[in-house]
Amino acid sequence: MRAAGKVILPFLFGALLLIIWEVAIRLNHIPQFILPAPSAIAISLWKDGPDLLRNLSVTVEVTLVALLLATITGVAIAVALAQWPLAERTFFPYAVFIQVTPIVTIAPFIIIWVENIFVVLLILAWMAAVFPIISNTLLGLKSASANLRELFRLYRASRWQTLRRLLIPTALPYFLGGLRISGGLALIGTVVAEMVAGTSGAQSGLASRLLEASYRLELPRAMACFVLLSATGLILYWALKVLSHRLLRHWHESARGIEN
Amino acid sequence: MSETAVALRSVAKNFPNGIEALRATDLSIAEGSFVSLVGPSGCGKSTLLRLIAGLLAPTTGTIERHDDRMGFVFQDPTLMPWATALENVALPLRLNGGTDDSSARHALQRLGLDGFAGAYPHQLSGGMQMRVSIARATVTSPRLLLMDEPFAALDEFTRFRLNDDLRALWQKHGWTVVFVTHSVQEAVFLSQRVIVMSPRPGGIVADMRIDLPQERRNDFRLSHTFIDQCACVSTSLHAATAAQDSAA
Ligand SMILES: Nc1ncnc2c1ncn2[C@@H]1O[C@H](COP(=O)(O)OP(=O)(O)OP(=O)(O)O)[C@@H](O)[C@H]1O
Ligand SMILES: [Mg+2]
Repeated sequence: MRAAGKVILPFLFGALLLIIWEVAIRLNHIPQFILPAPSAIAISLWKDGPDLLRNLSVTVEVTLVALLLATITGVAIAVALAQWPLAERTFFPYAVFIQVTPIVTIAPFIIIWVENIFVVLLILAWMAAVFPIISNTLLGLKSASANLRELFRLYRASRWQTLRRLLIPTALPYFLGGLRISGGLALIGTVVAEMVAGTSGAQSGLASRLLEASYRLELPRAMACFVLLSATGLILYWALKVLSHRLLRHWHESARGIEN
Repeated sequence: MSETAVALRSVAKNFPNGIEALRATDLSIAEGSFVSLVGPSGCGKSTLLRLIAGLLAPTTGTIERHDDRMGFVFQDPTLMPWATALENVALPLRLNGGTDDSSARHALQRLGLDGFAGAYPHQLSGGMQMRVSIARATVTSPRLLLMDEPFAALDEFTRFRLNDDLRALWQKHGWTVVFVTHSVQEAVFLSQRVIVMSPRPGGIVADMRIDLPQERRNDFRLSHTFIDQCACVSTSLHAATAAQDSAA
């Protein structure tokens, strides 16, 4: 009953909203180029779906590669900063700088300097995604219990042993929290970058198709793009949540829940 | 027999914030002996223990240890939550480059945790976690076992049981044990020697030999000789605290 309610209630609510939307459009004769009815969006999804999915795959590819690069570089940077406090004081402000700079304002320069559009998108999405991984992992690496640190010192653990057996496991839940935020940011970064870079054609991402459709006032198609992008964001979030749960379920409070 | 396991020569410790945690102290601990440190909170018991372990450097003075094989038991179990009981116990072996878990299994067994090798710390009770912690401290067959109020957070029943276990293990393996506690009874029950400390600045104010039979069963806690010894330690502890209060 409780499990069913968890799925059914939000679903019913969504269905209700769609029905109200559909009825309101029909009763008021609102033209499609202002606000399409859900049915029109669904038809467009069905008709243009295979075509749009090709564009979506471009967006997803950029997002995932950017997220992977953000993970690798973010963790590497965090480990380096945690090992050398001087490095943290020197470089962390620049990580903050990357974070607070709206990527839209950097995009024009990157587009001038880098020819390959895929690389441009990758750089911008990486910039959007890397900071939560750096800052969360860094916080985690510094959160090891003082007593455990002393224990490692007592047994003369090397720097590498301490990192591998103490600091990294301690940091794992923090890192996964950062990764979940970065997943969403990588997608947002990719979409924004596509829109700014103004790519077009079959090789372009779904965001540029959305923009293109909206310029032509083909709103059902634009909204179909929007639906696909939102669904992608949700799936990405869910996948990272499952990953995090898998990795932590044996021991971390966040994944253990209440046991009976 | 009476080789010296630990020798402190005018060891003092001042923390950077100006606190004089330990004034110049001389102390020597015989190999194979069981020594307890008692004293009110803040008198420098943990500081003294960490100095002996080499986790803190003394401000002045020298510390000599006969043997560097040490085990340390903290006030709370200090287990790695992501590792099983066995992995926690095996940690000192791993850090030493070992890959064989048989002595870790043996240490668990010795503390009555045979069936719990694969359990995570959160699946164990407080008393069991403490046993894992003791198993870890003893897995490398240390010559010197340093324990910082290991049973302070446990109920009396569990505490008495672990006291018995600890005494039995000590008698069997001949470790040198330095044991910090708040409890006079616990100190007297376990030790051959009780050292009383007082705060501000921390230091040793009494050093008492406990003249009790080696065989100490549970009902021994009710015997007159035991209670007399406790009273003796209590008196000196109160004297130390009172002198401290009137000085302040
Ligand atoms: N790292 C530190 N920096 C500064 N002062 C410290 C530090 N560690 C301990 N002290 C101070 O040194 C004094 C002795 O501390 P210590 O922890 O040795 O006391 P203790 O006898 O173990 O007390 P308790 O029974 O409460 O554990 C205290 O006044 C404490 O505030
Ligand atoms: Mg203490």
